[in-house]
Amino acid sequence: MADPVPSGGGRGPVSGAIYDLGYRPYDGPRNGLGAIAWALFVEGFRNAFGLGRSGRSKVLPFLLLGINLLPVVIIVGVLVFIHLDELPLGYAAYASRTQVLLSIFVAAQAPVLFSRDLRHGTIALYLARPLPSTAYAVARWASLLAATLVFLLTPILALYLGAVLGELDFGEQTAAALKAALLAVLLATGLTGISGLIASVSVRRGFAVVATIAVLLLGNGVVTAVQGISEEQSRPRIGEVAGLFSPYSLYRGAMGALTDERVLTPPTGGGLQAAYFGVMVALALVSLGALLVRYRRLAGR
Amino acid sequence: MTVLNPTILRLSAQALLGRRRGLVLMLIPGLVLVLAVVVRALTEEGVGYDIVSEVGYTLALPIVALLAASAVLGPEIDDGSIVYLIAKPVPRHAVAVSKYVVAWLATVALGAFPLFLAGVVLDASEPGRAVAWGFASLVSGTAYTALFLGLAALTRHAVVIGLLYVLLWEGLLGALLTGIRWLAIGPWGLQVGSAISDAVDEPGTGLTYALLAALVVTAGSVWFAGDRLRSFTLRGDE
Amino acid sequence: MSTIELEAVSRWYGNVVAVNGITMSIGPGVTGLLGPNGAGKSTLIALMSGFLSPSAGSVTLDGTALWRHTEAYRTIGLVPEREISFDYLTGRQFVLANAELHGLPDPGAAAQRALEIVDMVEPAARRIGTYSKGMRQRVKLASALVHDPSVLLLDEPFNGVDPRQRLHLMALLQRFGAEGRTVLFSSHILEEVEQVARQIEVVVSGRHAASGDFGEIRRLMTDRPVQYVVVSSDDRRLASALIGEPSVVAVALRPEIGGRRGVDVSVSDLGSFAVQLPRLARDCGVRLLELTPTDESLESVFAYLVGR
Repeated sequence: MADPVPSGGGRGPVSGAIYDLGYRPYDGPRNGLGAIAWALFVEGFRNAFGLGRSGRSKVLPFLLLGINLLPVVIIVGVLVFIHLDELPLGYAAYASRTQVLLSIFVAAQAPVLFSRDLRHGTIALYLARPLPSTAYAVARWASLLAATLVFLLTPILALYLGAVLGELDFGEQTAAALKAALLAVLLATGLTGISGLIASVSVRRGFAVVATIAVLLLGNGVVTAVQGISEEQSRPRIGEVAGLFSPYSLYRGAMGALTDERVLTPPTGGGLQAAYFGVMVALALVSLGALLVRYRRLAGR
Repeated sequence: MTVLNPTILRLSAQALLGRRRGLVLMLIPGLVLVLAVVVRALTEEGVGYDIVSEVGYTLALPIVALLAASAVLGPEIDDGSIVYLIAKPVPRHAVAVSKYVVAWLATVALGAFPLFLAGVVLDASEPGRAVAWGFASLVSGTAYTALFLGLAALTRHAVVIGLLYVLLWEGLLGALLTGIRWLAIGPWGLQVGSAISDAVDEPGTGLTYALLAALVVTAGSVWFAGDRLRSFTLRGDE
Repeated sequence: MSTIELEAVSRWYGNVVAVNGITMSIGPGVTGLLGPNGAGKSTLIALMSGFLSPSAGSVTLDGTALWRHTEAYRTIGLVPEREISFDYLTGRQFVLANAELHGLPDPGAAAQRALEIVDMVEPAARRIGTYSKGMRQRVKLASALVHDPSVLLLDEPFNGVDPRQRLHLMALLQRFGAEGRTVLFSSHILEEVEQVARQIEVVVSGRHAASGDFGEIRRLMTDRPVQYVVVSSDDRRLASALIGEPSVVAVALRPEIGGRRGVDVSVSDLGSFAVQLPRLARDCGVRLLELTPTDESLESVFAYLVGR
C-alpha cells in the first residue's frame, strides 16, 4: 500500500518521498445550511441552561428557573387545599411579578450566547464555515428566544395543569393561559432582541449584564414612576403613552388590554391598544434587524 | 501614602471612565435627573418623589455602585492582567483601598449626589427631605461599593451575584420577609435618612445598628478584597 | 545576586497534580525551564513569583518564603505569559506606571531606561492596543526591568515574537545573565533554550526530569545509544570494521549525496568508542574526514526524557 511517489522525477537516487497512506478527503454528502443552523441552535439552547458546559454554568440558570417555579407550587398548593374557584395570581400577571428573575436570566445568559464568541475570537471559526453571518445571528437569537420562552412558559403550563387538575372551569382557564402564552411570546422576542444586541456589542460579560439590567429594569422603573404620577394626577393619557417605552410596561399594557388584570394606566381606546401590540412586534423586529446588521459588519471585517 | 497609591488611583480612574462604561455610568444618573426635571416642570412641588425612592434609591444607586466597583477590579481579575499591578512592593491592601476610593467617588458623584439633586428639584420647599435621601444614599452607596468590590475580588461572577443580591435578596425577598432589613444595605441607609427627615420611612433597625452594620460591611469587604489580592493566584490560560 | 530555592515543592488542584515534589535552585545566570505544554512550567513560575502557594514544600527567595510576601517584588521582575489588557494606555504610560508602583525615585528616567533596553522608545507614545505581539512582549519586558531587578522570571517570552526580535530578546537575556542576574525563562521550544541557556531544568508531567548543563545531562544518559555520522575515505570498509567493536551497536551506510556517503553509527559506550575509533581507522587504513554527533541537541535529550 505504501508505494513511494518519487518527488525527484526519477533522476538519480530518491532523496525525498511522499507516501500515499490511503488518506483521502471527504467527498460524501454534506448537510446543508439548515442542518448547520439547527445544530448551532440546539447547542446554543443547551448552553443557555449550562448544559454541555461546566457544572458551575448550570447553577445560575437552574437556580433562577427553580425560584421562578417556586410561587407556582405555592399557588397550586393553596388552590387545591382551600378550594379557591380561581387562581390567586393570573397566568399573564405571573411574568410581570417575576420580571426581576426573568431580567437576570436574560441578562446573564445572553452574553453566554453572544459575547463569548466575540471575546475569544471564535466567531471567525463559525463564519469560516458555509454559514452566512445572518444565519449565525438568527440561530443565536433563536436559542436565546427558546430559552427565554422555556423560562416564561413553564410556570404558565404548570399553573394551567394545576388549575385544570383542580377542576377550575376548563374553557376559561384554557383561554386565559393561551392569552398569557401569546403575551409571553411577544415579551420574549423583545427581551431576546435587546439583551442579544447589548451582549453582541459588549465584549465584557459583566458589563453586558449590568447594561441589560439597567435598560430593562431601570427603564421599567422610570416608566412605572411616570405612570404612577400620571394616575395620581388624573392625567392617565401620559402614563398610557409612557408605557410604550419599556418592554415590561408594554407587556403590562398589552396584558391590561387583553385580560382583565388590573394594571397602572392601561391603554384605553382601540388605537393606543393596537399601538402597544404594534410596538412590541416592532421592538422584536428592529432589535433582530440590528443584530443582523451587527453580525454582517463583524463578518465583513 | 501607605494606604493610598496614587498610581493605582490614576489607573483605576482611567479604567472607570476611559471606556464605554463611563458613558453608561453617567447615563443612569442622567436619566433620573432628566425625569425629575420633567416631572417637576409638569406637576406641582412634591409630586413624584417615587423617582428618588423607588427608581433612584433601590435601582439606580446599587447599579451605579455595581458598575463602578466591578469596573475598577473586575476586568483586571477576569483576564489576569491585575498581575502587572500587584507584582510590585505595594501592600495589597493599599491596592484594594485605592481601588475602593475611586469606585466610591464614582458612586457618590454618580449615585448619591444625583439623588440629592433630584430630591431638591422635585421638592425645593423641603430641602431636609433631599438631604435625608442624599445621606441615605451616601451610607448605602458606601457599603454597596465595598461589598461589590469584595465580590469582584472573590469571583468572576461578581456582577451576577451582586445583581442577585440587590434584586432578589433586597428587592423581591426584602419586600416579603421584613426581617431581611437586618441583613440588607438598603434599609440601613434608609434608617440613617429617617434620622434626618421624617419623610423617609424608618425600616426599624435602630440608627446605631444601621451605622455599625454599614461600617462593618464596608471595612470588612475592603479588607477582604485586599486579602484576596494578597492571595492572588496566577493561573495559566485555560 | 539572588537565588530562588524550591524545596520538595508540590502543587495540586483537586486531584490533579501540576507540580510533583520538585527541588531545584535557580542561581545567577540564565536558566532555561524546559518542558512540553502542560508540564507545569507556568505553575512553577507562578510559585517562584509568589502568585501561587505550594501545596507542600517551600519556595524561597534568598531564604524568605515568597507566598503573600509583596516586598519580594523589589527583587523580582516578572514577565507573565498573560497579555497586557491595558490597551487604553500608551507603552510609556504603562512602563511609567510600573516604575511608580515600585516607588522609584525617578520613575520617568527608569521608564526611559527600560524602554531603551528593549528598543521600544520610538513606539512608546502609541497606545498598547495598536501594538503587535512582539512589541507587547517587549513592553512587558520593559515593565519587568524598570526597577533593575536581580531576579527576572519570564513565562514563554519568545511566543509570537518574530525571528529578528527573538534574537534581540535572546541577546538581552544573555546579557542580563552575564551581569549576574538570576534569569529564568520557560519554553517548550528546544532551540530557543539551547541558544540562550546552558543551564536547564527539565520538567515533564510536573516532575523534575533533569537538571544541569544540558551537555552534562546528555553524557549522564550513558544507557542510551548515541548517534554519530562518520565520513571517511572508505565508508564501507570502515563500517565493516566498526561493527566488530563491542561499543558499537549498529552501523548503516548513508545514501550517497553529492558524491559523499558517510556511516551512521550507534554507540552504547561513548568513552571506549572515542578511544577506539582513531585506532580502528589507522588499522584498516581509512582516513577519517568528519565525525559529527547527530543528536547532541536538546531535542534528543528532551525526546529521551519525555519518552522515559
